[in-house]
Amino acid sequence: MSESEKKNYSYYVEQKTLDVTDRPRKFLQAFAAVLEHGSYGVALDTYTRVSAKCARCSSSCQLYEATEDVRDIPCQRSELLLKVYRRYFTRSGLMKARLFGGFTLTDEYLDTMAEEYYRCTACRRCKSTCPIGIDHGLVTHLARWLLAEIDVIPKALVVATREQLEGVGNTSAITVPGLKDTCEFLEEELEEEYGIAAKFPIDVEDAEYVFFPAVSDYLLEPDTLMGNAAVMHVTGASWTIGTGNFDGIDYGLFYSDRMMESIVNNVVDEVHRVRGKKVLVGECGHATRSAWYIPTFGGEKPPEVINCLQYAYQALKDGKIPLSNRKIEERVTYHDPCNIARAGRITEEPREILKMICTDFVEMTPNRAENYCCGGGGGTVSIDEIREFRTTLMGKRKADQIRATGAKYVVSPCANCKKQLKEVCEDNGLDEVDVVGLHDLLLKVIDFSDFQIDKDESSEEGETDTPAEMQEAAVNNPTETESGIDSE
Amino acid sequence: MEALIEWARGPFFWAALTFMVLGLLRHLAITLWDIFRVLRRAGDKNMPYKQIATNTVKWLFPIDKVGNRFVLSMTSVCFHIAVILVPIFLAGHIALWKRGTSLSWPALPNLASDILTIIAVISAVAIVIQRSMAKASRGLSRFQDYALPLIIAIPFATGFLVMHPQWNPFPFNVMFLLHVVSANVVLILVPLTKISHCVLLPLTQLVSEVAWHFPENAGSKVGVALGKEGEPI
Ligand code: SF4
Ligand code: SF4
Repeated sequence: MSESEKKNYSYYVEQKTLDVTDRPRKFLQAFAAVLEHGSYGVALDTYTRVSAKCARCSSSCQLYEATEDVRDIPCQRSELLLKVYRRYFTRSGLMKARLFGGFTLTDEYLDTMAEEYYRCTACRRCKSTCPIGIDHGLVTHLARWLLAEIDVIPKALVVATREQLEGVGNTSAITVPGLKDTCEFLEEELEEEYGIAAKFPIDVEDAEYVFFPAVSDYLLEPDTLMGNAAVMHVTGASWTIGTGNFDGIDYGLFYSDRMMESIVNNVVDEVHRVRGKKVLVGECGHATRSAWYIPTFGGEKPPEVINCLQYAYQALKDGKIPLSNRKIEERVTYHDPCNIARAGRITEEPREILKMICTDFVEMTPNRAENYCCGGGGGTVSIDEIREFRTTLMGKRKADQIRATGAKYVVSPCANCKKQLKEVCEDNGLDEVDVVGLHDLLLKVIDFSDFQIDKDESSEEGETDTPAEMQEAAVNNPTETESGIDSE
Repeated sequence: MEALIEWARGPFFWAALTFMVLGLLRHLAITLWDIFRVLRRAGDKNMPYKQIATNTVKWLFPIDKVGNRFVLSMTSVCFHIAVILVPIFLAGHIALWKRGTSLSWPALPNLASDILTIIAVISAVAIVIQRSMAKASRGLSRFQDYALPLIIAIPFATGFLVMHPQWNPFPFNVMFLLHVVSANVVLILVPLTKISHCVLLPLTQLVSEVAWHFPENAGSKVGVALGKEGEPI
C-alpha cells in the first residue's frame, strides 16, 4: 500500500489523488459542466430555496442516531454542497460575494466534503422524513461525482472500476477461463449434491435472459449462484452468461455518472453481442438499480431488466418451481437492500418467497421502503479500512434490529449487504447469525425429484452432453423456452 | 401619522403584495421550467407519478407524519394552520378587500380568528424555543431560522391588539401602523426566504424524483466538456 495514503481522509486514496493541484477551480468547472448537462440543477435550486433546517431528518439517519454529532445530520452534510452551489451558481450568491466577500471554496473545504460524503451511504432513508422531500442521497451521489472529477475517490472503488472498464473486464478481475472453471465446479456441485444437470450456459446466442450477478458472487457466494442456476434449470429458462461481460457491479453509481454510464452501456453491448433479450440481474441491490438505468443510457431498443427475485417469485407463483415438503425451520428474517426497496420497487417478492419456503419468517422493524441501510451502502462496504466505522456506528442500528428478531438466518439478496451484514454480525457479537442470499435458501427446498439426472437421461433420446448442446436443445425446444415469465 | 398609515396600507401594501406574488410566480415558473427541461431531456421518461402524488399530498397534509417528534410537529402544524387561515379569512381583512376590489369570500367567526391568532403567536415563540433546545436543530439553525417565526408573529400580535383595544397599552394608531408595516415586511420576505416553500412544496417531491432522471448522455457529455474523454481512469 505504498502508493496510497490516507492523507486527510479515513479511506485510502491513490497517489494520483494527492497530486491534483488547483482543485477548487477544477471542482467548480466540473460542477458547471454537470449542471449544464445533467439533471441536478432543479433539485439544488429548489433545495437552496426551501431547505427548512428543521432537523427532522436527523431522527431518521442511523449514523446521527449513533454519533449525535451535528456533522452527521443529513441536512448539515447536504448544506456543504448547497453552499457551494449557492455561492457560485446562483445570481444572489454571486452578487453577495461581490458585495460582501464571504465564503470561498478552498482545498480544506473540499477535504471536508471528501470526508463527509463518504460518511453517508446514500441510502435515502432520510428523504422520507423531510417535509420538503430533500433527497440527501441525491446530494451525496452528486457531491461524490464532483469530487471524483478532482480525483478524490476511495482507492477501493477506483481500482475495481479501472479493472472493470480498462482491465480484465470485471471488478473482481476474474478471467474467462476462471469463470468457466467456476461454473463447471458449480455444475458439478449441483450434480453431486442435488443430482441435477443444471448448467451455467456460457455464450449461448439468442437466449431470453443474459445473467449479470455481482461478479464477486463467483468467488464468494456459490450457494446463491447454484440457487440461480437451479431456478433457471427447473423453469426450463433460456439463459446465458456472456464471456464479454458478466459483471453486474457498477461502482459508477457510487461515485461517477460518467463511469456509471459506461458500465451500463457495457451491459447493454453484451446483451446485444449474444443477441439476448433481457437482462437478468442476480442478487445485488446496486447492480439492479444500475440496470434500471438501462432505459436512460442504453440507446435504441434497450433490453428489458428483471431481477432474479422477480423471476423466481413469478415462477413460484406459476407453479414452475416445485417445492419439497421440507421447509426452512430456523427463524428467518429479511433485510431490504436500499437500492431495490427504498423506492418500493422490490419489497414483496422476496417476502412472498420466504413465506412459501420458511416456517418461521419474522420481519425486522422498520422494513421495506423504511428499512435501515445495512451500513455499507454507497460502496462503503468495499472500503475495508473503514470497517470499524461501518459496523459500529453505521451498522449499530442494523445489529440491534437483527438481534431483536432472534433470527438464525438473515436473508439479503445483495452482495454488498451480505458482506456488510456478516461483518456487522461479527463485530456486534451476533456470532450465531448466518447471513445468506435468498436463492441459497430456495435451493435447499426445491423438489428436484423430477429433475434427477438418471431420469432425464432415460426419458430423453439423443442425449446431449456438453453445456452448449444442452442449452441449444433447450432453446430449440419451444415448450421449454416459453417460460411465460413476465418481467413485471 | 394618518398619512403614514394611509401610505402603509395603500401603496406600500400593494407594492409588498405585488412583490410577493411576482416573486412566488417567478419561483414557480423557474421550477416548473426546470422540471420540464429535465423531463424533456431524460433518457428514461417513466416517472412514478402516483407515488410522487401520494408523497406530495401526505406532506401537504401531514396527518400521519406528526408521530415523528410529536411536540415539535404539532407546534409546527398549529403554526401553519394559523398563519395561513387568519390573514386570508379574517372578517376585517375581507371587508377591506371588498371595499378596495369588491372581491369577497366567507370569513372565519371572530372568536375563531382570535384563537388562531393567539395560537400563531404562541406557536411561533414555541418553535423558536424548541429549535434552540434540541441539539440537532440548534446545530443546523441559521439566523433566519430563529428570526422568521418571530417576525411572522409580529403582525399577528399587533393585529390582535388592534382588534382588542381594551388590552392595548399603546396608542391605537401606533399599533395599527406597526401591524400594517410588519405584515408588509412579511409579504416581502416570503419569496426571499425559505417561506417560498408555500408555493414550492407541491413540487418538491417531483423535483427530488426528476433529478434522478438523467439525460441520455449526461455522463459522456460532461466528460467531453471537461476534456476527459479517453482519459484513463
Ligand atoms: S446515510 Fe442514509 S439516512 Fe443517513 S444521511 Fe445518508 S442517505 Fe440519509
Ligand atoms: S428534514 Fe429536510 S428541511 Fe428539515 S433539516 Fe432535514 S433536510 Fe433540512
